Amino acid sequence: MVNQGARRGMIGYFYYPIILLLLFLIAISAIYSVSIGQVHIPFNRSMNILLHVLTNGKLGSSDAVGNQSYFTIIYQIRMPRVIFALLIGMGLSLCGAVMQAVVQNPLADPYIIGISSGASLGATIAILVGFGASAFFANFGIAFGAFIGAVVTSAAVLLLSSIGGKASPVKLVLSGVVVGAFCSSLSSLVIYFANNAAGVQQVAFWSMGSLAPSSWDKVPILTVVVLIGCIIFLFQHRVLNTMLLGDESAITLGINLSAFRKIYMILAALITGTMVAYAGTIGFVGLIIPHICRGLFGADHKRLIPATLLLGGLFLIWADILSRIVVPNVDLPIGIITSVIGSPLFIYMIVKKGYNFGG
Amino acid sequence: MELAAKALYVRRGKKEIIKNASVFVKNKQFVGLIGPNGCGKSTLLKSIYKSLIPQSGTVFLDALDVLKSSEKKVSLHLGVVGQFNEMSFDLTVEQMVLLGRTPHKKLLEQDQSDDYQIVEEALKRTRLLDYRTRSYLSLSGGEKQRVILARTIAQQPQLMILDEPTNHLDIRYQFEILSCVKQLGISVLAALHDLELAVMYCDYVYAVKDGEIYAHGKPEEVLTPETIEALYQIKCQTFINPVTHRLGFAYGI
Repeated sequence: MVNQGARRGMIGYFYYPIILLLLFLIAISAIYSVSIGQVHIPFNRSMNILLHVLTNGKLGSSDAVGNQSYFTIIYQIRMPRVIFALLIGMGLSLCGAVMQAVVQNPLADPYIIGISSGASLGATIAILVGFGASAFFANFGIAFGAFIGAVVTSAAVLLLSSIGGKASPVKLVLSGVVVGAFCSSLSSLVIYFANNAAGVQQVAFWSMGSLAPSSWDKVPILTVVVLIGCIIFLFQHRVLNTMLLGDESAITLGINLSAFRKIYMILAALITGTMVAYAGTIGFVGLIIPHICRGLFGADHKRLIPATLLLGGLFLIWADILSRIVVPNVDLPIGIITSVIGSPLFIYMIVKKGYNFGG
Repeated sequence: MELAAKALYVRRGKKEIIKNASVFVKNKQFVGLIGPNGCGKSTLLKSIYKSLIPQSGTVFLDALDVLKSSEKKVSLHLGVVGQFNEMSFDLTVEQMVLLGRTPHKKLLEQDQSDDYQIVEEALKRTRLLDYRTRSYLSLSGGEKQRVILARTIAQQPQLMILDEPTNHLDIRYQFEILSCVKQLGISVLAALHDLELAVMYCDYVYAVKDGEIYAHGKPEEVLTPETIEALYQIKCQTFINPVTHRLGFAYGI
């Protein structure tokens, strides 16, 4: 145990270099990510095109841009997808870290308060019952349904857990389980009575989580929501740290946790709801990334949140790359990849000697 | 800083836990709260430090109305060493003690060098300087309690409330913790189990029985065989310890 303290101290010393390294890796990975796929584009050309786009033509070679098909593939298809992967990776890991602090339980993830089953119900209704078909919601239906489902569910969980006094972490988790189970059964009911094989398949596909629907028109909303969330929570480390101590100690340090808990849950629900609406439920990212960062840097949120954001973004960029190259010419749902990588990694972390949910 | 908790009344469901209890702590006084398990000592302390709101009664810290002020305002003056300090996440000892500076910080304010200075001082007082990078969860019960005390010292309160701070600690840590608190020279209100420790450290003692103040006064006045038997239902003889020249207790005779 003495060594453990010393070890963390040593890695803590390299905190800023590691943050810089993560930033660098994200940049490299993003360029690599837009290079690969069914049409392989050489790395330096991708970089030139990216530079050209990002700097409005001031930098980067116009030769590469001259090849219009490369430009279209990168700009129209792959760039929004990388941005999606980065933002959703950041958002999921952020909400995971926040929810773990909010319910004071290291096993929490962004979906713990029933968001995933609520969003699934919303998407299921949108696909099978139908405002997805009407003209107004034509492109918007599934995302809209999922978002409404997520937000309504988390509001229900929040209300349910506040009945009869303060919303304690245990009540939150239990309410999340109950409301989640209720939504799942409703989804099953809708699916059971839907006489629509294609629709049922679409529901199944949606629930696996996928970055395939990413496009430029969806980028602004996602960017604004995730970045605002990041900025808010980057400055909340003091409250997040006192959350780890529990209600009793927090009050003696002048912080009334139950109010903050509600605000954080609403923020996390809005961020997660937006991400789920666009990309379905992508599992394990929000659970495992905060854990890895805690293992490296400790549970102090001042260091944990920035590291979690960057590692989460990097992780999902690579999960996305894998989802496109593991099976040739097939775009696997990214949720399958994250779970396949995530679950063995988590088992390893639990089995590993001395792992104590803190670092 | 003076504490005046007057006529506190706490009910949970139909059970009356605190009935009309008043407790006063004068400036720089060390006041003890004694009484059997379940008599309401912890509840009384909790209703003073805002962890639970009493149905009636008032709590004043000098002129500050504790029950009507924000947690933040109260925590600038009042520090608490509580009973339950387990958690599911790990912090280093230094990070843990640094959290004691929370009440003095605005939401977006960073820790300054004088905050670290104060933390350093608190670590020194609790003899934890060599522990600063150790993980809190790896510490023993006595060491954890010292970390919590260091955190409360770093909070720089003028009144400290301790809820059975020496529970489960061996003799050395019991003395260390209480001596450390005594040396701070601030007002203290402490729930204690060990009557000899109460005699040693307290200037004044309140005896709690069934949610009421059964007796109060100087330790020598309160801790009589009759009162002790009424409180704990155990026969007891008191004597002057020939070595310490303080009040001693022989139980079960």
